[in-house]
Amino acid sequence: MIGAELVQRAAALAIVMVFAPLIPGVASRTRSFLTARRGPPVWQLYADLGKLVRRGVVYSRTTTGMFRFAPIGLLASVILAASMLPLDGAAALLRFPGDVFAFVYVLALGRFVLVLGALDTGSSFEGMGASREVTFAALVEFGLFIALAALSVASRELSLSGMLGSAEIGATWTTSAPAILLVIAGLFVLLLAECSRAPVDDPTTHLELTMIHEVIVLDHSGPDLAMILYASALKLSIFGALLVGVAVPTTGQPYAMRLGVLLAGLFTIGVFIGVVEAMMARLRLPKVPLYIAGGSALSAFALILLLR
Amino acid sequence: MIALFAGLALLVSAAVAAVVLREHRRTALVFASLVVAGCAMAIVPAIGVLASGHAVHVAFHYNLPGGDWVFGIDPLSAVFLVALFSVGSVAAVYGTGYMALGRTAAWPCHAVFALELAALALVLSAQAVVPFMAAWELMAIGSLLLILTEYRVAEARRAGLIYIVATHVGTLALFALFALLARTGNDWSFRALATAATSPDGADYRNAVLGLSLVAFGIKAGLFPLHFWLPPAHAAAPSHVSALLSGVVIKIGIYGLLRVITLLGGAPAWWGWCVLAIGLGSAVLGVLWALAQHDIKRLLAYHSVENIGIILMGLGAGALGAAYGHPLVATLGYAAALLHTLNHALFKSLLFLGAGTVYRITGTRNLEQLGGLARAVPLTWLGFLVGSIAIIGVPPLNGFVSEWLVFQALFRAGHANDALRLAILVMPGLALAGGLALACFAKVGGVVFLGTPRAPRELTKSPQLGTLEIAPLALAGACAFIGLLPFVVLPAMLGAGAFVAGIQLPSVEARATATMVGGTAITIAAITLSLLALAIWFISRGLRRNAPVRLSQTWSCGYAAVTARMQYTASSFAAPLVDLFGRLSGVRVHKGASVFHSEPVDLVLDRAVSPWWNVIVRLALRLRPLQQGRLSRYLVYVIGTVVALLTYLVVRAGGVPK
Repeated sequence: MIGAELVQRAAALAIVMVFAPLIPGVASRTRSFLTARRGPPVWQLYADLGKLVRRGVVYSRTTTGMFRFAPIGLLASVILAASMLPLDGAAALLRFPGDVFAFVYVLALGRFVLVLGALDTGSSFEGMGASREVTFAALVEFGLFIALAALSVASRELSLSGMLGSAEIGATWTTSAPAILLVIAGLFVLLLAECSRAPVDDPTTHLELTMIHEVIVLDHSGPDLAMILYASALKLSIFGALLVGVAVPTTGQPYAMRLGVLLAGLFTIGVFIGVVEAMMARLRLPKVPLYIAGGSALSAFALILLLR
Repeated sequence: MIALFAGLALLVSAAVAAVVLREHRRTALVFASLVVAGCAMAIVPAIGVLASGHAVHVAFHYNLPGGDWVFGIDPLSAVFLVALFSVGSVAAVYGTGYMALGRTAAWPCHAVFALELAALALVLSAQAVVPFMAAWELMAIGSLLLILTEYRVAEARRAGLIYIVATHVGTLALFALFALLARTGNDWSFRALATAATSPDGADYRNAVLGLSLVAFGIKAGLFPLHFWLPPAHAAAPSHVSALLSGVVIKIGIYGLLRVITLLGGAPAWWGWCVLAIGLGSAVLGVLWALAQHDIKRLLAYHSVENIGIILMGLGAGALGAAYGHPLVATLGYAAALLHTLNHALFKSLLFLGAGTVYRITGTRNLEQLGGLARAVPLTWLGFLVGSIAIIGVPPLNGFVSEWLVFQALFRAGHANDALRLAILVMPGLALAGGLALACFAKVGGVVFLGTPRAPRELTKSPQLGTLEIAPLALAGACAFIGLLPFVVLPAMLGAGAFVAGIQLPSVEARATATMVGGTAITIAAITLSLLALAIWFISRGLRRNAPVRLSQTWSCGYAAVTARMQYTASSFAAPLVDLFGRLSGVRVHKGASVFHSEPVDLVLDRAVSPWWNVIVRLALRLRPLQQGRLSRYLVYVIGTVVALLTYLVVRAGGVPK
């Protein structure tokens, strides 16, 4: 029985990993539709990844092993974080009390190696990007922890598998719906910041001075760059799955239904991202902390409501 | 216990050997072997107590005022002793190489270092007031001498002065604390004090004792706002001494707070909330001020303030859990504080030793002038990287395990139905401190070890560098061990945490609790992470085999005349965060038409303590006429004091006793 469940969870992870590059495609397709442009096809990222893995690699002479390890460490940590999420709506491959902290900090590990890889090049642009990345990430982590604390208080659980899609969260919809709505809004705001989307970052720009995430991978090429692009797409899906888990409690439903809800949810989030990007431009950098603080405040209100 | 005393004897003999051999070419070898042997021997009983959970003690009847001199090891002191001896032995070995590369004579530093280790062990094992206070003062003086090792430098003398003033204010509070505790009875052993304090008569002074403990031990621990002595002292001392100061000496403050809790049989809720709030302030402000530093050792010192804050958050959660009657929160909170104490001792001394190597090969501690050292000292970079990953509290190293315990304690507190649930409100502060620490260590690692050197500099080359590179790796191994196999240490820490909380937790149950809170799962996660990284590396190597790998220069967006000075510096890296927190981040900026200069200031030392200190000094100068160096004058003072005291006694007794 346990074997069958493990296979189901692993299959859910595999499906999310396969579909992850689709979500940025959905977002950019939505944006181009809304702005009356043709835009790239939905599967553009798959094509990019396929092209990159066949390309050669260029390394700067300034770099050390850190630069070469960065994409590997990033991708490994994002996949590990994905395996801590209950993607099939029931339980994660890896679940233990307090895995919620491990989830956030594993993602932090990935960011740390990526940023060190950027600083390894000695480029002023990458230094600038690295500085911005760690600044905004520190604030996002702050907000994310508040949101997770609110979920933990609502569900009396310390594991993501217990928090997301659980019966307790479902019950909270009836007892304290405003709190859950605030958490969802807060998480969406943080998702845009963490996954380098508008209004925090602009994934379409290629002007080095304005970029955040894109600029710290300037020197990566070939399969290394493919790993980073894929890890970013997967991270978007992870945060999307987190949001879907809070919004739609699916415990008790059949497996296919739970997976369907997840994929539909991820698709919807992609559309939402596209809508946001079509409607607003990137914020000026000094405004970004205010934006993230706003997202954190939403979750903080939820936490206070739940603690009342 | 005999092994502990034998180990201490070896430490003292190491000091004697250093004094006797002095500049002999074998001094370093003899000294290092004796210290390592002493530490290895003395750590055995501490580990034994942790493994079994049974305390041991021995009492000496000296027929002196204050009763027996009791020495012992219980689970609480055992945790600190393990930290002391593991950090102490590595730092001593490193110190032989470090001092050999310096200009000051090595042997006085070595001798004091070994004695300081022995004094610290005595503080941790003393279980009566008189030996505790004696060892406490020995420790304070030893630290002062170690900070003054390079006394020809004005910076070291100033640091020593600030340290000795601060530490003696703490000692004064400690005298008051023990005076309250030992008010009744002539037996001043900790056991007798505990019996008196937990009796109904103890209720009227328990709050005062707890308040005093925050000052007496808070100064030693370096919690905000009493941390002001810590950054100058850590920066001015030789690096292996900084490792000991930051790794162990400041932890004695934490030990003191926990010891007071065991003496009083718990603390009321107000104290727990106080500690939690102080922990929050120390954690966030410590890391924020660290971000602004340009001096690598001052930066690490502010991170000690941050980590003391994290330890205090665990301690506060534990005290609150006990006060509100939640044994699991109490045990987890105290265990988190203890484990983070041990972990911080390991990774912070690792970082300080790395910083020491950087200083020795470049001759500067200024981050703005460093860069690209990973090629020169790859093993130091490896050690520093391990220390960085540990201190920012991410898997798979030990810092994560203890921060994860603190988070668990706070979240489990949040699940309670009484006022305890509000404890979860400090948790975002811990999260913010974690994020800022990541920013700070990305800055240090990136600016010091990666990129290219920012200023041309001749690197020192010496065979002694081997010691400096290799000795810290022992600490890196310890960090990895606790991080990868936390279930080995968790039962002992939970047992010690339960001991502080006054809960009986047999070792079988401790193991069960460790599994229950998820101790084994961390290992599985860490193994999964390594396997994933290995698999990805394997696949990417396969992909690269068919494709050309080319070396070129860093992409600079088409600009051809790139120089090393164009790299982001430490200040520019930290600027967005420093700007974000405004005045709170303690950076003073000088702007002119063609000048821009920024420097970090300590808001407590420079804005609050120093002005008051100047007032005190001015007032003290008024008293100078009293002190003229004439023996006859001093005899008059002594006689006058004795007469005044006798008069007081006579007046209070209401007449001359018959």
